[in-house]
Amino acid sequence: MSPTPKRPSESSLRRTNWVLAGITCGFLALAAVLLATPWKPATQAKIPLVDPSFLEQTAWRKSYADLAREKADLSDFQCYVCHEKKNPPPLRYDDQHVLIVPDEHSDIKMGHGTHNRNNLCYNCHNEGNLLTFSTRDGNELQFAESSRLCGSCHGPNFRDWEAGVHGRMNGYWNHQLGEFKRLDCVNCHNPHAPRIPTRKPAPPPHPLRQPVLLEPQAPQATTP
Amino acid sequence: MGRRNFLRSSAAFAGLGALAASLSPLREIGDYSSVDEFMQKYYKEMTPDDMSKVIKRIENEVQRQYGIRPHVRDLKPMDGVEFVYCLNLTRCIGCRKCVHACVAENNQSRNPEIQYIRVLKLPHGSMDIEKADHLYNPEAVPQKGFFYMPVQCQQCHNPPCVKVCPVHATWQEKDGITVIDYDWCIGCRYCEAACPYWARRFNFTKPEIPKERLNPNMAYLGNRPRKQGVMEKCHFCIQRTRVGRYPACLEVCPVGARKFGNILDPDSEVSYILREKRIFIQLKEEMGTNPRFFYYFEK
Repeated sequence: MSPTPKRPSESSLRRTNWVLAGITCGFLALAAVLLATPWKPATQAKIPLVDPSFLEQTAWRKSYADLAREKADLSDFQCYVCHEKKNPPPLRYDDQHVLIVPDEHSDIKMGHGTHNRNNLCYNCHNEGNLLTFSTRDGNELQFAESSRLCGSCHGPNFRDWEAGVHGRMNGYWNHQLGEFKRLDCVNCHNPHAPRIPTRKPAPPPHPLRQPVLLEPQAPQATTP
Repeated sequence: MGRRNFLRSSAAFAGLGALAASLSPLREIGDYSSVDEFMQKYYKEMTPDDMSKVIKRIENEVQRQYGIRPHVRDLKPMDGVEFVYCLNLTRCIGCRKCVHACVAENNQSRNPEIQYIRVLKLPHGSMDIEKADHLYNPEAVPQKGFFYMPVQCQQCHNPPCVKVCPVHATWQEKDGITVIDYDWCIGCRYCEAACPYWARRFNFTKPEIPKERLNPNMAYLGNRPRKQGVMEKCHFCIQRTRVGRYPACLEVCPVGARKFGNILDPDSEVSYILREKRIFIQLKEEMGTNPRFFYYFEK
């Protein structure tokens, strides 16, 4: 039997106790601090979510074909409710030889091309039958075939459009796997003023590192 | 029990409790990774069995975090398909709809903001990127005298980002898409530094995606939610294009400036463009990256 180890002195035991108590108090204090302020990532200013209108995939105009498909109100296309058959409305011009759009059609703003030669109703509408279009070479086309009417003058763009290269395409690039949707010219271009209007751009990127800077600017932007 | 023993044991208990409390921030580590994720194999070495387990784990994780059951798939490249993107600079009006459609489709962090597409505004008659402005915010676009050039991952034939990755967490697939395995990325950001197009983004914090805007149609190498400390970038919407659909940025473009397709198919739109249109720019051509992203103008 080994001899009993020498008991540590009374004073060193007391010192050990004091050290243990000190460490315990330290941990307790740390626990209290951490429980009072739970770990959270630094708060950042909120970047507002983008307006869902910028995520919209539908065309901004509807073609006659779309309206007919949706069985929507087509009364705007019933020309002979107001016009007389066999008596096409004459074109009137001002002193600059610019077409005067009658008040009944005041929603139409003519702006087809940079010169005025294309801003005449019967360049596209059929003088003999207002319910159809007529191309320059005398072919009669239905309202639903408006893209072919555009193509009768805008050949290269029409060729690109047929190849899927001009204009918007939606759906499947792989035509075997799903539907490929091609829009009509008038889904994007207003035929009376085909240039695509300017628009408000979606918000610019926020500087990644400084989202905080953007908070005070937001109310200023909305006041005017 | 003696007084001394009582004091000692109660002090020991209090000490242990305090220790546990002081380590409490470690509980949050569960948000970053799980044991399964830690033990996960390299993407290219996973068997279909391993992959289905990983997908289940990701689906559970997303459901736990966002309360939405996602549909995660591991989509492989199609045979006989190589993707090319063409962008018509004559048509682009700089409306930035593509930027935000991409964010919505690909579950990018909204705060801090991560965007794959940057639209540069350049003065007419110049291709000098130094003159570009990407923070423009006028009342209406397009502005007179400027054109707009959206820049995103160019899906290079010779990608510098892949070369520098020390852990092979990013690689080029056979359909031309350079992908990232977010579970393999160590976040060293070498690829971000190597990319001449600033196409790669880093998640400095945990990405924040509002629940109501989470896109549940996900792909493993695509738009599944990322975590803090990994890189991400445009992947031509893998979750859409590998099932035959157009990418989100293309579908939302109001002017049809963006064209996408299979360059190996002579009847595709991109083949037509490369055959018929005249002027092409591969951005920073002199870098030798040979992008699969072409900019062109109308004749």
